[in-house]
Amino acid sequence: MSATPKRRGAEGLLDFADELQRLSAAKEAPAPGPELQLVTFALDREEFGIPIGQVREVIRVAEITRVPQARPHVRGVTNLRGRVLAVVEIRTRMGLTPAEITPKSRVVVVGVHQRTLGILVDSVSQVVKVPADTVVPAPEEVLSPGADYITGVARWNSRLIILLDLEKVLLLPE
Amino acid sequence: MSDENAFGELIQDYIVECLPLAEQVGDAFVELERRWREGDSGDDLLASVKGRLHTVKGNSAMMGLPPMQTVAHALEDACAMLDANPERRADDAAALLVRGSGLLIELIRTAAEGADAKAAARFVKRVRTFLAQSKTKEPAKRPGLLLERRRGDRRADEAAIAEAASGVVRVDFRRLDAMLEVLGEGMIEQAAVAELYRGLTRKLKASPELADLDRAILALQKTMKRLEGILMETRLLPISTVFGRFPRLVRELAQARQKQVQVVSIGGDIPLDKAILDRISEPLVHLMTNAVAHGIETPEERVRAGKAKEGRLELRASSESGRVIIRLSDDGRGLDDAKILAKARSLGLEASAEDTGHLRSMIFLPGFSTAEQVSSLAGRGVGLDVVANTVHELGGTIEVESRPGKGVTFTLSLPLTLAILRSLIVEVDRERYAVPISHVAATVRAEPETLHQVNQKGVALWRGDLIHVSDGGALLGTGAAPATSRRFYIVISLGNRRRGILVDRLIGHQDIVVKSLDPTVGRPEVISGTTILGDGKVACILDAVRILEQRHSA
Repeated sequence: MSATPKRRGAEGLLDFADELQRLSAAKEAPAPGPELQLVTFALDREEFGIPIGQVREVIRVAEITRVPQARPHVRGVTNLRGRVLAVVEIRTRMGLTPAEITPKSRVVVVGVHQRTLGILVDSVSQVVKVPADTVVPAPEEVLSPGADYITGVARWNSRLIILLDLEKVLLLPE
Repeated sequence: MSDENAFGELIQDYIVECLPLAEQVGDAFVELERRWREGDSGDDLLASVKGRLHTVKGNSAMMGLPPMQTVAHALEDACAMLDANPERRADDAAALLVRGSGLLIELIRTAAEGADAKAAARFVKRVRTFLAQSKTKEPAKRPGLLLERRRGDRRADEAAIAEAASGVVRVDFRRLDAMLEVLGEGMIEQAAVAELYRGLTRKLKASPELADLDRAILALQKTMKRLEGILMETRLLPISTVFGRFPRLVRELAQARQKQVQVVSIGGDIPLDKAILDRISEPLVHLMTNAVAHGIETPEERVRAGKAKEGRLELRASSESGRVIIRLSDDGRGLDDAKILAKARSLGLEASAEDTGHLRSMIFLPGFSTAEQVSSLAGRGVGLDVVANTVHELGGTIEVESRPGKGVTFTLSLPLTLAILRSLIVEVDRERYAVPISHVAATVRAEPETLHQVNQKGVALWRGDLIHVSDGGALLGTGAAPATSRRFYIVISLGNRRRGILVDRLIGHQDIVVKSLDPTVGRPEVISGTTILGDGKVACILDAVRILEQRHSA
């Protein structure tokens, strides 16, 4: 039988605590100069980063209810401890195929435009501190028109983290 | 931070206490104007406002809000002068008082955002000029501020004591909202317990313990239901709290147009959820503005048409089968059908002069303002479509009737409350939806031989009438292949409109707590909001009103 909302809520919190612990375990040696603190997540084989200040929490994917006649790129709504949270399908927004829910899938709960929204991602990697001076603009050739939500690329260890302007990504077309 | 919160709360308390007082003062001034015109002295009214102004002044001083304090003070002075000089009681004096009370109300209403000191200073200056015109001596100098403050204090204390003695307490509405939220959570949890119990009964053999559990759950359900009833009642306020502002407003509107309009309100004691009252005020103001600006004629025109010089605007509230009906009628010139027809055709809409009901309902469509020019009163960039939208968002309906030369009546039908909705839960292609019971006329087993097609659309014979029955999956875009084997259809109805919707399962009745839909999701036509069901999953609420309004459908 299905779990009660209470238990679901507690589970969600525990998951979040786990997640935080795991994320903070991956601390980096402090770098000199200004730093960006990013929460990174994966979509297909690309890694994206958003400022930690915009992230409220990361939750496991509970059932997402489809909403009839919703705008494109809206996956649906879900229960976040008694509140109804809209979940954005960020993959299709960025031109990818719709997400398949796997055990690694997560909803990143973000605060933008004075609203709380969820974005559905393939997996959440970690919290990283990136020196601001390692951020370079993405080569123009790889940016498709309309991809103005990519603000740059950070090199971190031998990885590339694509920096996203959440406000732009979450301005959904009608 | 906490200081700021405390201050915010104090300001809220101040507004809660002073706004009604200022509004009563304003009402008294409007009444005073009428009485003076009729030659009555209005002494009793002048006397009645004194205490109220004094309390407002005292409280404003205590809160450190000089604009409100000085305006209340100026009004007091003007009243004292008028008290001593009956010969000055005339239209100009009344206009000044009404204007001052309007300013005072506005200042108090927006106290949390910071007061407009300039407007207050301008008004105080005008009162001074007015008082200086008086041939007799100015009223004796008022006592100093300190003394007054203490007097204001004493008044507030007296009010508090009277309140305690009467057994009435003032509660910030946000607390009632919070209570409702908690109640809603309780109801979801209770539904979860009931669901777990049903699961248990399938796994365990019947036993006395299980029977006890069943009884306990039923008792809990009843208690929650009672708690809900009491809380809902607490949230209800008489509709007069909204109607009360209208005489003053209409007076100003009419004056600006050199018209004479009398407002009559009936049924002000009908209760309505405050959450609805708060939002219905603006649409009503809009309708009244239209009535004064476009409906009611100038006195000369009215006399020529054989009507009384003074126009009449009637607001009538009544309650009918769990809903509140508000009718707003004017005795003006009525809607201009020819103009509406021309506008409809210019917008490329199908319309005929014969079907006046349909024609007139078009005035609620976006971009459908027939007023030839934007006036300073009406036409502030919003049309009747905005009014209709607000009413629909509240789960209500709006209709218009018009008799040429006789006037227009708008009828608004509103639910008593917004927060908790008795609903039927149905399942379509494994998605669950809540349908508000108030719009469900029947649930019917879908026997294949009773369902037919006309023009490739489903119809059924229901209670002697042919009604359109559409597939729930198609209506809701579930993406599943059209099912031919849905077992039931529900009949939703509103007035004389009815429609059937085919569904797979009827899950049962449930009181649901309405959660609004995040605008990010869009503005679906068929969904009015969401709710959380007993198993913690989110379900959408069908917007029966808008589904019934669709003229053409799948």
